[in-house]
Amino acid sequence: MKRLFKIWYIQAKNAAQTQLLTTKGGVIFLIGKVFRFLLYFVFLFSVLSGAGGLAGFTTPEVILFFLVFNVIDVVVQFLFRGVYVFRSLIVSGNFDLDLLKPLPSFFRPLFGWTDILDFITLIPLFSFTVWYIFAHQLADIGGLLLFFLLVFNSVLVGFSFHLFVCGVGVLTTEIDHLIWIYRDLTAMARFPTDIYSKGVKAALTFVVPVMVLITVPAKALMGFLSPGWILVSLFFGIFSVFLSLKFWRWSLKRYTSASS
Amino acid sequence: MGKYWQVIKLSLQDYFVYRTNFVLWRVRSFIFFLTLIFFWQAVFSGKQSLFGYGQDQMIAYVLGIAFLKALVLGSRSFDELPGMIRDGQLTKFLLKPVSISKYFLSRDLLAKALDVSFSFVEIFLVVKLLNLDFYFPTNTSTYFIFILVSLLSVILYFFIGLVVSAFGFWLEDVWATRWLFGIIFLEFLSGVYFPIDVLPRSLVKAINLTPFPYLVYYPLKVWNEASGVLEKTPLQIVLVMTFWVFVTCFLSGKIWQKGLKQYSAYGG
Repeated sequence: MKRLFKIWYIQAKNAAQTQLLTTKGGVIFLIGKVFRFLLYFVFLFSVLSGAGGLAGFTTPEVILFFLVFNVIDVVVQFLFRGVYVFRSLIVSGNFDLDLLKPLPSFFRPLFGWTDILDFITLIPLFSFTVWYIFAHQLADIGGLLLFFLLVFNSVLVGFSFHLFVCGVGVLTTEIDHLIWIYRDLTAMARFPTDIYSKGVKAALTFVVPVMVLITVPAKALMGFLSPGWILVSLFFGIFSVFLSLKFWRWSLKRYTSASS
Repeated sequence: MGKYWQVIKLSLQDYFVYRTNFVLWRVRSFIFFLTLIFFWQAVFSGKQSLFGYGQDQMIAYVLGIAFLKALVLGSRSFDELPGMIRDGQLTKFLLKPVSISKYFLSRDLLAKALDVSFSFVEIFLVVKLLNLDFYFPTNTSTYFIFILVSLLSVILYFFIGLVVSAFGFWLEDVWATRWLFGIIFLEFLSGVYFPIDVLPRSLVKAINLTPFPYLVYYPLKVWNEASGVLEKTPLQIVLVMTFWVFVTCFLSGKIWQKGLKQYSAYGG
């Protein structure tokens, strides 16, 4: 584990150097991220002030859902950005070289590219979220600890989904749209998922576990979650890792290395 | 004209080769559309009107987004041109007897035709499944003005796309400019995510100084027969849009002239 972390750190450092080499692109990207966040924030605040809440949640609670969505989304993107460049490894055949290395086969597809720009945005975002929680007295220390446990669980679910996408990529060489569909589905949880119909909620729980990924940690933080849901979510996180690893191994057996 | 017809036919074949890509792209648009519908339904729950919109007008706005996103923002030039400039592929257009703008306009028209056809199916499905009631204009003239402003939006977006793509002549990171101007500024400020008049008044005034709200927000204001925060009549909207079309057309011509002098066909 220590060795893997060291390799990840070296890869992340190299990726950061590459990204910071062309600073203009990075700066433009950061401006876009900040602009999008601020405009969404102002929009939500304006709408909720006029409407007086959403689906039974108060304005600060809905904004906390939005902040939690952003934090988890950025953490998952920061860690698993490698998926976005995995397709080029498959179609060029360069993935063969990674399979020869003494590393877990999923290491390069998932952790091969760590996005320093996500990390740069994560620090102020996380600080603001913690400040917002305590400024509006939305949670206590116990809720915060439970939140961290469930964010870790979200990372497991994020790992599983990204690995599943990589598996599909090995089988079909198609990744780009699938990962963007995942992004669009997770974006549905920037608002409390209680606004959706039963069918949509079921899909967001069992098809793509967006509720476990984002809504559950947010609700646990505010003390809206029963112990049963917490246990189910944790079980879901572990089970999804198990399933995705199974699928990954199965798809890897069908890897033809056709392009190399 | 014949050669651009061939471009349309070839682009259509291209779509049929990558069918999954197209279907998945439509799935993405559908998810976005569905999220907005549920969000505004929840906001309007138990309320007749908010922010100057009746619930039926807000639903009409969201359905209109699905339609105008396909008609106005459905584009190939915006996606492809900056990269082509950067990797030198633009050279092949410069050597051929084709106009770059007409070539990409042809591709855009096909993209729009396909996107609009699918958006109609998606809108129909959502309206039926969720039993939505939405606003229809009461004046017949509104339909004609809506068609006119929608066409002006298509032209305006095309010229904005040419201006933004031209950044590729000077900047290395075309993906970043495409993302910032093409997605973040353009989509947020055009009203694709929400009607801009729900934002604070001072912010709306600032956004209104740009051409972006004329792409989606104002055409849908025309449909809803509502004047909004800044109280513009349909005639004023048409006049300002025409002004922006001329400005962006002039700008795109000038910038492309300068850019082509700068172009050195790296990698081409």
